[in-house]
Amino acid sequence: MSQRFTLAALTLIALLRAAPAAAEPYLAVLEGYKCNVCHVNPTGGGLRNGFGTTYAKVLLPAETLGNSLDAWSGKLADRLRVGGDLRADWARVTAPHSSSQQAFALEQFRVYADLIVIPDRLGIYVDEQVAPNGSQNAEAYVRYGNTTDGFYVKGGQFYLPFGWRLQDQTAFVREVTGINMTTPDKGVEVGYEHAAWSAGLDLTNGAANAASGSGYQVTTQLVYTKPVWRVGIAGSSTKSNAGDRRVGGLFAGLKTGPIAWLAEGDIVHDDSLGRTLAAGLVEGDWRILQGHNLKLTAEYSDPDRSVHNNQQTRYSFVYEYTPLPFLQLRAGYRHNFGIPQNNQQNQQLVLFELHGYF
Amino acid sequence: MKRFPTAVRGSTGMPAFRGGVAFCVLLVAACAGNGAGLDSNGRPLVPGGTQPPPLAANFESIQANIFTPICTVCHAGGSAPVGLRLDAAASYNLLVGVPSTEVPALLRVKPGDPSNSYLIQKLEGHAAVGAQMPYGCPNTQPCLTASTIAFIRQWITDGAPPAVAVAAAGVAAAGLNGSMAVTAIVPGSMESLSAPPPQIMIAFNHELDVSQLATHTVHLERVVAGTMPAGIERVPARLSVSSANLRALMIWPSYPLSAGHYRVVLDAGSSADFSDVAGRTIALGTAGENGETVISTFDVEVTQ
Repeated sequence: MSQRFTLAALTLIALLRAAPAAAEPYLAVLEGYKCNVCHVNPTGGGLRNGFGTTYAKVLLPAETLGNSLDAWSGKLADRLRVGGDLRADWARVTAPHSSSQQAFALEQFRVYADLIVIPDRLGIYVDEQVAPNGSQNAEAYVRYGNTTDGFYVKGGQFYLPFGWRLQDQTAFVREVTGINMTTPDKGVEVGYEHAAWSAGLDLTNGAANAASGSGYQVTTQLVYTKPVWRVGIAGSSTKSNAGDRRVGGLFAGLKTGPIAWLAEGDIVHDDSLGRTLAAGLVEGDWRILQGHNLKLTAEYSDPDRSVHNNQQTRYSFVYEYTPLPFLQLRAGYRHNFGIPQNNQQNQQLVLFELHGYF
Repeated sequence: MKRFPTAVRGSTGMPAFRGGVAFCVLLVAACAGNGAGLDSNGRPLVPGGTQPPPLAANFESIQANIFTPICTVCHAGGSAPVGLRLDAAASYNLLVGVPSTEVPALLRVKPGDPSNSYLIQKLEGHAAVGAQMPYGCPNTQPCLTASTIAFIRQWITDGAPPAVAVAAAGVAAAGLNGSMAVTAIVPGSMESLSAPPPQIMIAFNHELDVSQLATHTVHLERVVAGTMPAGIERVPARLSVSSANLRALMIWPSYPLSAGHYRVVLDAGSSADFSDVAGRTIALGTAGENGETVISTFDVEVTQ
């Protein structure tokens, strides 16, 4: 135990840089699960299914509450499952040559619902962000087929599957690809789940075509999952009036003892920008004890491969403590490094977050 | 506090140690750029060029100090959220007078009325829909300060005019009460670019009647140096008008422009082509020898 704490302390001192990138996929890597083991959505994120709810009650927190939560499974009725996530923060951001900003903020309150019309075959899923500000629909789609073993089809508005579905939407790999959980898209998805394989093919409008009424986006992803490792490949092509865009990505996960490693590398070519961009992420999640997770993240971004000396890096250190079921406390520090003449690219962040979910 | 069952904790510490070493190596290996030869937005410095102007209540300054360095992290290219591109080539015409996607009853920028401009509401964090911008503020990056937003408010209060250089390029714009007029061209006239523009945008004061547009209406030409008189090459390009903004005509070169001097030209007799649904036609400036009207020129200095 003391060796582990020593290693953690040394790593922290060595970095003196890190912060909050909150990814939940590390749990899947640690446990060797596919996304659909814990989530209603086979591509991950959002509403937890029955097993996911049980996992959140029993395996995730430092202290379980005995039988007092037995009645809660996420189901309001036989055919209706609900859930939610609320994140409230206090953050302090410091950039060179400018005064610090600090504030309490409600980052998000989302509610999810899944109506099972025909068991194991037909469902309707909704993900609604109800705060801050007014309500905004994130996902709303009809799902037909078997999401655990076989083919399924989704139609409506949903997030596209591409790489690691991180909670931190400002991660370089999510910003650079433009495929993240801030920009749902409308269209259809055909997916396939069988044994270690997960595959998806999406035909959607494309974010840049939201108001143009023209263009389209094709996105595909293939993931192979084994108990201690997984690898995935993803690609996307967008046709738009703004210019065509092509994105490719590789991502992988590995479990070494109590540590889950996540890695992703993406490359983007955008005709409208006339640039090729690249981004990478390496994340280590060390589950020190049940309910305690130390997350270290290193990120890299090259906003234009043809320009030298413009790269950005970002290091994050986050401690996540889950004392009780459905309650998580997070504290983190992040240091951005970029070109010295840009203050935004060199800011530091301290964050404390309260995360409630059900 | 519970320990993990053995099966969950894993085996020995050695694999974790090796993984940790690899992780640390990656951390050390990744280095940020030193910024040499770049402006504050990370773009190559143009010989004789200048750093972005200090923040002021004009579009050129707001673009250089806010939209380009902050907003285009996401709002650029073929994945721009809600189709809103805030790069210099597109931002003005996708902001001013354009209904917002999230609340179509509000214009993104309503000239003269900052409080009812959706841009301001999103930046100040009281928009009816969605997150405050820049995305992640104040959790992962600073929000724009009130003093910074004040410059944008003032620009909108002043009528949200385009950049001075761009406005000056609108040779057909002057004194045209009620008629069609060019209000902006990007790249701006006499502008010198360090990289080829992916498109050229011509903005109008009224929505175009696209049924009147012809493929020859406007074109892009490269002036070939070293010949007397200078030779002219027409650059293959396509024209488009987005249904999201009928006030902007885009010219898309078929290939990246090489270094050289370029001009945007309206064909002879194209006056009737640029009309709105009310039949108002554009008043062109002085035509050249062959009846063409050059409405903008710019240089590309490819540095890569």
